[in-house]
Amino acid sequence: MLGWEFPPVINGGLGVACHDLCIALSKYASVTMIIPKSNPDFVVKNLNLIGLNTIDTKTLRNIGFANENYKNLEDVHFIDAHLNPYYTSKTNGDQPLNFKSQFLKPLKIGNETAEVFHISDLYGGDVIEKVTVFGKLAAKLACTLDFDVIHAHDWMTMIAGMEIKAQTGKPLVMHIHSLEVDRSGPTSKGWVYQIEKKGMEYADVLMPVSHFTGKIIHDYYGIPISKIHTCHNGIRPVVPFKSEKLFKEKMVLFIGRLTRQKGPEYFVDIAEKVLQHNNNVRFVMAGTGEYFNLLLERAALKGIAHRFHLTGFLNLDKVRQLLSMADVYMMPSMSEPFGLSAVEAVQFGVPSVISKQSGVSEVLQGSLKFDYWDTDSAAQYVLALLNDSVLAEKIKEDAYKDLEHISWDSAAQTVISGYKKFNLVHDKITS
Amino acid sequence: MPSVCFYFQVHQPFRIKRYSFFDIGKDHFYEDDEKNLTVLDKVSEKCYLKTNRKMLELINRHKGKFKITYSISGTAIEQFEKYRPDVLESFKDLAKTGCVEFLAETYYHSLSFIFSKEEFRRQIEMHKAKIIEHFTQTPKIFRNTELIYNNELAAFIEKMGFTGILCEGVDRLLNGRSPNYLYQPAGAHKIKTFLKNYSLSDDIAFRFSDGNWKEWPLKADTFASWVHRMAGNGEVLNLFMDYETFGEHQWEETGIFEFLDFLPNEIMKHGDFDFKTLSEAADSYKIRDIYDAPDFISWADAERDLSAWLSNPMEKAAANRIYSLEDSVMKLGNKDLIEVWGKLQTSDHFYYMCTKFWSDGDVHKYFSPYDSPYDAYIYYMNVLADFESTIDLYYKDNNGAKKMENKNESIA
Repeated sequence: MLGWEFPPVINGGLGVACHDLCIALSKYASVTMIIPKSNPDFVVKNLNLIGLNTIDTKTLRNIGFANENYKNLEDVHFIDAHLNPYYTSKTNGDQPLNFKSQFLKPLKIGNETAEVFHISDLYGGDVIEKVTVFGKLAAKLACTLDFDVIHAHDWMTMIAGMEIKAQTGKPLVMHIHSLEVDRSGPTSKGWVYQIEKKGMEYADVLMPVSHFTGKIIHDYYGIPISKIHTCHNGIRPVVPFKSEKLFKEKMVLFIGRLTRQKGPEYFVDIAEKVLQHNNNVRFVMAGTGEYFNLLLERAALKGIAHRFHLTGFLNLDKVRQLLSMADVYMMPSMSEPFGLSAVEAVQFGVPSVISKQSGVSEVLQGSLKFDYWDTDSAAQYVLALLNDSVLAEKIKEDAYKDLEHISWDSAAQTVISGYKKFNLVHDKITS
Repeated sequence: MPSVCFYFQVHQPFRIKRYSFFDIGKDHFYEDDEKNLTVLDKVSEKCYLKTNRKMLELINRHKGKFKITYSISGTAIEQFEKYRPDVLESFKDLAKTGCVEFLAETYYHSLSFIFSKEEFRRQIEMHKAKIIEHFTQTPKIFRNTELIYNNELAAFIEKMGFTGILCEGVDRLLNGRSPNYLYQPAGAHKIKTFLKNYSLSDDIAFRFSDGNWKEWPLKADTFASWVHRMAGNGEVLNLFMDYETFGEHQWEETGIFEFLDFLPNEIMKHGDFDFKTLSEAADSYKIRDIYDAPDFISWADAERDLSAWLSNPMEKAAANRIYSLEDSVMKLGNKDLIEVWGKLQTSDHFYYMCTKFWSDGDVHKYFSPYDSPYDAYIYYMNVLADFESTIDLYYKDNNGAKKMENKNESIA
């Protein structure tokens, strides 16, 4: 398995999802996870976790490539040269590492000098070079390992996945948690979009976290439906609790990055519409992002600032504190591959109003769903939940039932059934 | 000599539109005209006209020996009057043959018996008047909404003068006995209960087009041979189903009309068998045993109880709220308000709110005009909020009017 974010180094939901899926999967298969950085103090039971920061290039260079499956990379021109000045497309595994990179840090081993992969941040800086170097090193490393399936998560590990497939001939599965089209809209065309497209074309099987994302893969990347095997996310169980609000008004909660994708402006519009009919509500947005100031201004402009709160970034404990107080959870995402936070709201017994443009809407029967642009419907749903306890209770109860079907174990089983369906494994894996 | 009794249910509700919270107080028209018209047009073309034509042809071909019974809800008749008089005419043509009986039911296809006996009676009388108006016959036999039934209801219907009543032949109540006889409701004296033979009825209504069913494709001679098995151990075979079975639930391509075309002849090939309307059957056969149904039963869903309409808190809250308006609506005596109130009682509104997702939910979803049961509930409750405020306005106006009257009197 190839991952980018992984605990304790996490940026968003991806790291947690990869971690929890790995753990669940280790019950059914032997899993090796290659990530950019690992912390020797962080050990995960039943999981062979390798951080590239711990493997020196000297070791890698000495690896012989006697593997019969090994192929030249000439059919893998997956990056336009002008987009990626650092990448040399014709490498051969037999050759020593023949590239230089700012992300290879010198390391003295005895009298010899080797290099290790070193990045201080997962994102930012020259990400293209980061993921390229990661890919090359991961591919070298993979040749020393025995495995049946390459399972890569999102675009950061796609080059790695492609390189490994090219060198070993092993089937490549790409797990899709999020796409450029989700983040930047349907007109996305940049390098990330290109690498996603090439990666998904080259992969044998795609495992999006929802049918919604599967449809995007088909509609915006032109990948045949026949390669797509949806695998809904699970959720880590929590012990929910309730706490008292410090104000008497009802509370409608938004959790997420304040970026275009999450539809935060719609949340402001919905708040305005609700407040016109029920002034006894406060709207709280937990999270940060480039829309922060814009949202602040927008709320002020609409004259609802006294009922509108932006908390900035909150840690998990604080987020749970908010969930324990909320009356309604609102997720107006424009394009949400899954949306775990809505399931977290369910765990805390908070009825949710979520956009239909989300993966989680496929697994939550117990929720009210609207098209993200239809703020009238969303406002109506919020008002209905606030005014009608029968409805709120009923949705809460139905969502609890949904929760029984949402687990990482069933996600892992779906992954395994995908391996089997596409004949990637034979008999080795039990289920 | 055993008789086969066909009874077909014809019903269309006045579906309400996606009535938003923001419409409350502004929009007092609740129906989704466009949707109602579209559905009625579709079902008229695919089922009503085609099947009526076939039934008329069969009655003529068999020179009056093929007989059938219908129950048409008041809301369906109203929609025919309003949108499809041609369909209504074709039912009248059938009525004129003398081989077709029309049953009584609650005008609004409602759950009124459960909530208000008075309203229940009012709706039956209304429906009876409608049937007499169009088909010049007085209904003698009663069927309640979706065959909702219990002993108390049967006794009530007996008191209203009906000679027969329909219900589901539930295995646990039959306790090994055959549904193919006339029964007497426990606690009643004269009224005869017709039990639906669900096995043979559902072979046509549900399984007919099921490719996984071992009897598929079902032919009329096969079905007739199953019917003939009751010779000597049954008197009335009650085949009860939605009329929309023909052409709508079972599409024309399934061969349902060919099946229907051959069926009467195949059944009557056995000289002992004939067809009767329900009243004829009630006159011909005696009560053989008691059917004791202390609790409500129905023909809906796998549970055959009230759970299709009244199992979750939303359905209960909605139903309680609409029936709680009875006094204030009736006291006002305003014809329009009473009509709106009646239409909001139609059981379909509650059926759409059903959340038995993982089994019968599919059927509910098929019929529902909304995206989810929550939507059905929210729109309905929004409508009630507007309706209640309208009632309040009438009261204010009335009081105002009364005050004016008093003033005028004192001046005079």
